[in-house]
Amino acid sequence: MNDGPLILCADDDEDILSLVSLRLERAGFRVLQAIDGDAALEAVRSKRPALAVLDVMMPKQTGYEVLAALRADPTLGALKVILLSARVQEADVERGLDAGADAYLAKPFKAADLVAKVQELLGA
Amino acid sequence: MTSFSLTARALPALTGRVRAAPAAWSFIAVGSLAVAVYFLLPPDAQSIYYVALGLGAVVAVFVGTVRNLPRGERLAWHLFSLGLLGQVAGDAIFAVYEVQLNREPPVPSIADVFYLGGYPLLALGVFLILRRLGGQTGRAAVLDTLVVFCGVVLVQWVFFIDPYNHVHFGNEAARLVSMAYPAVDVLLLVAVAQLLVGPGGRTVAYRLLLASFSLWVVADEIYGLNASSYKGGSWLDAFWLAAYVAWGAAALEPSMARIAEADRRRLPRLTTMRLALLSAALLAAPAILLLERIAHHRVHSYVLGFGGAVLAGLVLLRLGGLVRAVERAGRAERLARREAEQAQRLLAHQNEHLLELDTLKDEFVSSVSHELRTPLTSISGYVELMLEDENDEQKRNYLGIVDRNAERLLGLVSDLLFSARLQGGKLELERSEVDLHRLVLQAVESARPRAEVEGVLLTVAADNVPPVSGEAVRLAQLLDNLISNSIKFTPRGGRVSVYLSARDGLVRFEISDTGIGISREERERLFERFFRSQSALERQIQGTGLGLYISKAIVEAHGGRIGVRSEVGEGTTFIVELPAAS
Repeated sequence: MNDGPLILCADDDEDILSLVSLRLERAGFRVLQAIDGDAALEAVRSKRPALAVLDVMMPKQTGYEVLAALRADPTLGALKVILLSARVQEADVERGLDAGADAYLAKPFKAADLVAKVQELLGA
Repeated sequence: MTSFSLTARALPALTGRVRAAPAAWSFIAVGSLAVAVYFLLPPDAQSIYYVALGLGAVVAVFVGTVRNLPRGERLAWHLFSLGLLGQVAGDAIFAVYEVQLNREPPVPSIADVFYLGGYPLLALGVFLILRRLGGQTGRAAVLDTLVVFCGVVLVQWVFFIDPYNHVHFGNEAARLVSMAYPAVDVLLLVAVAQLLVGPGGRTVAYRLLLASFSLWVVADEIYGLNASSYKGGSWLDAFWLAAYVAWGAAALEPSMARIAEADRRRLPRLTTMRLALLSAALLAAPAILLLERIAHHRVHSYVLGFGGAVLAGLVLLRLGGLVRAVERAGRAERLARREAEQAQRLLAHQNEHLLELDTLKDEFVSSVSHELRTPLTSISGYVELMLEDENDEQKRNYLGIVDRNAERLLGLVSDLLFSARLQGGKLELERSEVDLHRLVLQAVESARPRAEVEGVLLTVAADNVPPVSGEAVRLAQLLDNLISNSIKFTPRGGRVSVYLSARDGLVRFEISDTGIGISREERERLFERFFRSQSALERQIQGTGLGLYISKAIVEAHGGRIGVRSEVGEGTTFIVELPAAS
């Protein structure tokens, strides 16, 4: 089993969720999964991952909303967040970065780009 | 060509005027001379000469009419000819009496029939001309005419007609004929008034006609005041003779064909002249009353009372018309204002709606893009995964095909999204200073693998250039578009060269290929949205027809120009010039 840092992956599309998880596991990270915004928030609060990869368009709470809630929680100051979205217009990217995301990656993504970004943010 | 046809069109009008106008002025010159000669002749010769002059005027009017007016439009001027001919006939009879019998004809005589018969024809001619020009047949114009008519009738009756009731005549017929002259002068006076207030924009012919009527009527009125002391050959004859000359000249002037600008107003313009004439007519009754009182003349109380009442009635009718016209204008204005307000509200509403639609469209494009990218993420992601784990060459080959096509689909989605934004006119740049040298090298490097696969030699010669003000992402997109386009259209073994240079404050890059080339007709449509060249379709070269459209939009957003040089079968060069940052 992996013993790298714990990462939360949240996406309502299960195929993509599996893909992202698999890529990160192969890179040596431990992975938590969530299939909507509520579950993502709940998982971050209970499991305290080092980094969260959030989809933007999710049911219950969007990635933006989850991000806002996370950034509003002073106990989660160290948490890194990557938004991974098929919304790729400048306005969307800007909104994500303004809301406090550490990075914004577009779907479809190259596995190497995702892993590199995660490693960069975790200083690994 | 244009200047030639202009000259050719202007020529007949010009030469026509140059040839014909002297006819009118020559007629005036010769006529004036002839009038002067009249006063040098002995009395008998004068009588005959007078007839000859009148006949000359009649001939001039007839010739001018036939020459200047098409058949069917000549009636008014023929009436003038005929009316004048009546005067000439009267004069001729007079001359016969004076020369042959050495006395004036009896009153009444056949001469009076010709004289008096001519007047209605002259007045009718004026009426026909003015009716053709318009502005004279509306209710208000007719009322104005009636007011003037009443004023004129009052004056004529009191000063010119009624006096004959108080003079001893040998017979009643003579009295009636004497009274008939000032009576028919009413017609001429009204005709002059009508000509005076007639339409604006008058021609020389119009002025000449007005002059001839005025001279004639003034002569008649002066004669009417001194009928008993008048002798043939008096200075007064100069007025009638001058009127003849002016009449002939008016008919010879080519402008008589279009004598004034037509006036299609419902209400005639209240010009100073019209106001003056109406005031004079209205003041006729009180003015006559005062004059008669002051002169201790017999006061025509019944006539003046009745005339004043008729005038008052006419004025009331005219005023009623004006008030109604003002009310109509007010209603029309209110209606127009209401309509304008409605139109404005509608416009505001539509504007709002358009803005809503625009937002909706943006939202739609953005969500379609999102919905297409999501499955593409899974396809490319899992294909990438399988490629890593697969060792079988054939399967790797197949997976490569899926990967490339997913890539293509993604490019299409991006281009569509981008061009939808361009359609909304929304290419806003986040400007910074961009180093095109670095950007060009990067673009070439990222295109190199593709060029190698296609068997195309890709070379670059990039000078160090000043930075341009623009958005690096868009400029990179532009370079990628153009370079990959050139590679796509260049057959195996060909060459794509990228050059970058700067000159005169412009940064210029050229992407030159040895590809299939573009025909002249297709070059014109090359930058249109969704345009695909025939050769691209025939060779099944993949594309959406959006790349160059997007490229042009990016270049233009940067204030630059894009152009193309091409030779079918030889190759194509795209040239882009961008202003260097100052």
